[in-house]
Amino acid sequence: MDFLLSYLSLAAIYVMLGLSTNLLVGIVGIFSVSQAAVFGVGAYIVGHFLMAAEPMSFLAALAIGMLCCITLNILVTLPSLRVSGDYFVVTSFGIQLLATAVFTNWTAGTGGASGMPGIPPPDVFGYQLQSSWQLMALCMAGMALACLCFWLVMRAPFGRLLRAIREDERAVAAAGKSVLRAKVSAAALAGAFAGLAGGLYATFLSFIDPSSFDLDASILLLTMVVVGGARTLAGSIVGPFLLLALPQILTLLDIPTIFAATARQLIYGTLLIAFMLFRPQGLLGERL
Amino acid sequence: MSTYLQAEGLDHHFGGLHALRDCTFDIEQGRITCLVGPNGAGKTTIFNAITGFLRPDEGHVRFRGRSLDGLRPQAIVHAGIARSFQNLRLFTELTALDNVMVALPRQFAEEPLGAIFRPWHAARSQRPRREDAMQALHHVGLADRARDTVRNLSYGEQKLLTVARLLATGAELLLLDEPASGLSAGALDAVMALLRRLQSEGKTLLVVEHNTRVVQQIADEVLFLHQGHLMARGSPAQIIADPALAEIYFGGAL
Amino acid sequence: MILLQLLINGLVTGCALGVVAISFALVYSTTKIFHVAHAGVYTLAGYIAWLLVSHAVPEVVALAAAVLVCAGAGAVIQHQLYARLERRGAPHLVVLIASLGLLAVMQNIIAAVFSPNILQFPVLWANRTLALDGVALTYAQLLTVLICLAAYGGVMWFAHYTTLGKRIRAVASNPFLAQITRLQPNTVYVYVVAIASAIVALPGVLVPLDLGLQPYGGITPLLTATIAMIAGGVGSISGAFVLSIAIAELQNLSLLAIPGEWSIGITFFIFVIFMLFRPTGLFSAAR
Repeated sequence: MDFLLSYLSLAAIYVMLGLSTNLLVGIVGIFSVSQAAVFGVGAYIVGHFLMAAEPMSFLAALAIGMLCCITLNILVTLPSLRVSGDYFVVTSFGIQLLATAVFTNWTAGTGGASGMPGIPPPDVFGYQLQSSWQLMALCMAGMALACLCFWLVMRAPFGRLLRAIREDERAVAAAGKSVLRAKVSAAALAGAFAGLAGGLYATFLSFIDPSSFDLDASILLLTMVVVGGARTLAGSIVGPFLLLALPQILTLLDIPTIFAATARQLIYGTLLIAFMLFRPQGLLGERL
Repeated sequence: MSTYLQAEGLDHHFGGLHALRDCTFDIEQGRITCLVGPNGAGKTTIFNAITGFLRPDEGHVRFRGRSLDGLRPQAIVHAGIARSFQNLRLFTELTALDNVMVALPRQFAEEPLGAIFRPWHAARSQRPRREDAMQALHHVGLADRARDTVRNLSYGEQKLLTVARLLATGAELLLLDEPASGLSAGALDAVMALLRRLQSEGKTLLVVEHNTRVVQQIADEVLFLHQGHLMARGSPAQIIADPALAEIYFGGAL
Repeated sequence: MILLQLLINGLVTGCALGVVAISFALVYSTTKIFHVAHAGVYTLAGYIAWLLVSHAVPEVVALAAAVLVCAGAGAVIQHQLYARLERRGAPHLVVLIASLGLLAVMQNIIAAVFSPNILQFPVLWANRTLALDGVALTYAQLLTVLICLAAYGGVMWFAHYTTLGKRIRAVASNPFLAQITRLQPNTVYVYVVAIASAIVALPGVLVPLDLGLQPYGGITPLLTATIAMIAGGVGSISGAFVLSIAIAELQNLSLLAIPGEWSIGITFFIFVIFMLFRPTGLFSAAR
């Protein structure tokens, strides 16, 4: 039962990340391998403030974390809007690798390679959450909130504008709308989702380390969106739930632990290639 | 009297190609002016220069006395000039109605905060805007195709949709890039009638057209462009009758 | 003399990076694909050579074999993956994601078959040093510089003086025209990726000779190389090579001031500066 609660909580967190990645990669069309980096920033910030000399309430720490992630995402995607798509690939990789370097080497701030242990469980409006059930409920609530925001945004004129931008930016400019502002807003929203996910992750696991926020993690996020389906709410939910079940299926195959991560990454890579070749719209999405 | 739209000394190179060559002309308000010339004369380049899609190496554009130099396309639309594209550039996965609605100015919740924090207001404020969009569709005769995806519209209907999208912006000066090309006779007449109707409602039109019949029927004035330079201007009858221009138009090299 | 040592090390790394850069640039400027999986081919080369050398195959033969295997791998990648995606009209983003997936597959197959940990070449002469004037240079490093410089020269000669080289440049400069003038861009693309893969096999073997093999070590050099390519100006072979050396020198010199783990920050910082002030690069052919 505990295992099931853990799975559901993590899946909820990764759904928020899936929404974030889907917004950026699927809807705005920016190739991003740095979503795990932003996720990590959110996690480390919340972890830091929850364990500070004067610990903050969870919601306050979360707010700060989300704000930082929003800013980070805006800064990170701004170059992509001025410089051609391919050059941004380099920027995105660079940001991810740089973030991993910071997470691993800035021992004072992040605990370095050994990570940040002992993050306390969250308190919501003065009520201290403790049990696995309560934590799962919080993660589910976060997921529901993120899904609601995504749904509201996509059915509003903003969603229509983003779809139009995906089809033809020049025509949107000719219609008198600012493409840059729309893309930056979408990136900001994606940052908010990632920050939310990061904060919940830190407090749920109570221990975070750089390995959860590296390039492999970004590849996992891309795989979730690709498999679940790009640009849709359903795809952002299905992808994470499916892919998080994968490690459990793998343990049934009795693969030695040293190769567990390798096996997972191999599967993600294969899924990426297979879906791009044979079903680019994923299971429940629209074509990239 | 300051001229309505004035282009002065527009000059532009694309690498080795001298696309615009000291191009100067002006447009009067309320008229339908046709821009004609052989392929490669620079007609679309002029459209791009006027509407901010291109910054010309030299020259100025003024609209109602106000300089448009260096403005981005969105700002020029707000100033009152909108353009269509030769290759339509419609949003093919969206419905006709949505295509028009994208172009409506000043909408609420065209950014995430409004959509998230005031969702009911966002939904309510869409209703009058939907009416505005339907009106634009009605104007071009596409009201009954509002819910159809652009994919399912005929070429003629798609061309009318591009005009509806222009109307939605509220612009007073419309730049149309070959609105009649590729259309059957019936659709052609519908487009010409539409353009004349728009003029009677106070719009000013600058139209790039190859079809001499269309030019004769709708133009108040014709500007003949050749090799990026304004060669001649006059009434349709004058321009079409000129043998030298005909030589350039039909017999001239690319 | 620490400074001289750093400069020498920078030259070695720079030459190796330079070859990665020009091979990547070859693919990018011709096919317009940002071939991330190139890092996988680079990694593959080292392991193929290691496998052969571990079975008492002479080093020269192992190097040649690695080059050939990588050429084949490149040809297969272009023909079976990229060409197929292109035929289906896949947008750029889809090709990028597929390439990334391929990189993950290649790296992890290597990790599964060989080992996820660092492997060393069982070659004794590689780490013997040549000491000159207080500066130490291993034979592996010396070989790296010589072979990579030769590769640079070879590519320059190939691009400007051979028929295939000129055909490649023609396709790169105008793919549309190439399509209709029977230059057969699709065949050219296969040649291009094969040749680029063959070339990148050289540093792919030489660098691990010095530093050891590891499955996930391809992406950082690739990124640095692409930054060199962009800063040098896409389309300029010399630009990519020279900038690679420049970046490597800057990285090494920065070690005087900041710890090594942050050196990627230097590279990245250089990149950002270029993007802000001179996005077309220093020696861009396209201006």
